[in-house]
Amino acid sequence: MSSDKSAGVPARFNVGDRVRVRELPNLFYTRTQMYVRSVTGTIAARTYEDLTPEDEAWNRDDARREQYYIVRFRQKDLWPEYPFAADTLQTELPDGWLEPANN
Amino acid sequence: MSHSHDHDHEHDHEHPAAPMVEEITDFEVLEIAVRELAIEKGLFTAEDHRKFTEWAEQIGPAAGSRLVAKAWTDPAYKARVLNDAVEACKEIGIDWTEPTGSGTPSDYMNLRVLEDTPTLHHVIVCTLCSCYPRPLLGHSPYWYRSPNYRRRLIRWPRQVLAEFGLLMSPEVEIRVEDSNQKCRFMVLPARPGGTEGWSEEQLAEIVTRDTMIGVALPRAGRTADDTRPVHKARRPVPHETEARP
Amino acid sequence: MTATVGDTPIKLLETLHAEDHAWANIAPRYGVTDADPPWKVSLYATLECLSVGEALPSLERRHIEDRLGETLYRQIPGPEQQLLSLAHILLSRGLLSEQDLSERLRTVRQRLEAG
Repeated sequence: MSSDKSAGVPARFNVGDRVRVRELPNLFYTRTQMYVRSVTGTIAARTYEDLTPEDEAWNRDDARREQYYIVRFRQKDLWPEYPFAADTLQTELPDGWLEPANN
Repeated sequence: MSHSHDHDHEHDHEHPAAPMVEEITDFEVLEIAVRELAIEKGLFTAEDHRKFTEWAEQIGPAAGSRLVAKAWTDPAYKARVLNDAVEACKEIGIDWTEPTGSGTPSDYMNLRVLEDTPTLHHVIVCTLCSCYPRPLLGHSPYWYRSPNYRRRLIRWPRQVLAEFGLLMSPEVEIRVEDSNQKCRFMVLPARPGGTEGWSEEQLAEIVTRDTMIGVALPRAGRTADDTRPVHKARRPVPHETEARP
Repeated sequence: MTATVGDTPIKLLETLHAEDHAWANIAPRYGVTDADPPWKVSLYATLECLSVGEALPSLERRHIEDRLGETLYRQIPGPEQQLLSLAHILLSRGLLSEQDLSERLRTVRQRLEAG
């Protein structure tokens, strides 16, 4: 549960910001799916603060909580030959997996 | 009421005695054996198991159906659902912080309800495993957990929907929600025509499980989901090369 | 973290009448139309308890289930596949021993058959 909000890492992004999913090495355990790596999307919502799955997997309860976001991608950006320009996909990502994107 | 266990004396004439499987299967035995040994090894307690069984027996999609029907008839409630779904669930008797009445994994703490419009249709998947809003929808159907659904929905959502009999117009944006973190998601489908003046109870009947996952649309007269065989992975009609890993 | 779970068949589980006793096959023989076997809810409660107690986190289990479901237990339908995978994981990790389980299978069946 994300009760201890004061300990969190400051959230860096707001709804509407363009972000790119970082290409980080796969640690033993992650919930960041391969298909969104290096792809740029838009912050659709801020959800909650929590530990990252990587820290939870190692029982690092003292690790700092991070803001999570729902990020919206255009399907065309995930799969270049996707034929319907308006279709989208959303998934949730923690702050540390994202970097600002300008395009 | 007779205390006889003889099925011929069943008094409920509207529901004649159901046939039973009259032999003991290896799976029935295995389930009991594994559970008993796990309890004896201290992996969990019999009391925990009883509480979860009670909870698991009574959950189903009815709570989700009530939520949708209430949101359709009460715009203020719909606004509360979209703003804070966990709070709004309390009004229909579902407490996400205590679904079993005996504590719960933190996974259940976040819920977002996704509203369909005439130009936007949501469909939910968990590519990672099978995350699902169980306090509202009960246990996920088998196909939802199948690798086939999880792998293909994100790439070919329109084809997968077509396999469910749902052909979406190209004008409608399909938005796939991959629920692979701690938020759980449910679709608030659009209220269909032909339901004007219906009560919440009538409306709830057409809000089936599949309409809240987003693989079906509610309509007047449709009160049950189709049973769906699990498709073994088969080659979909490719609209892109298969080469990309 | 805990030991990996391999795809090597486990002798004891191979002795079960997995296909013949699967609900999808046995229920129609008796004219039973319930979609799910009666033990499914109890299995789900067991899985939940194991996850909450951290003996076997759900996500980890699901990944192993997926793999075993495409290899060893490919021919076995829905909840039966989950139950076999669970037994497979608990045995592979030494949380249960094959000898204990074998003995318990025998005594449980005796109890059930005694009525």
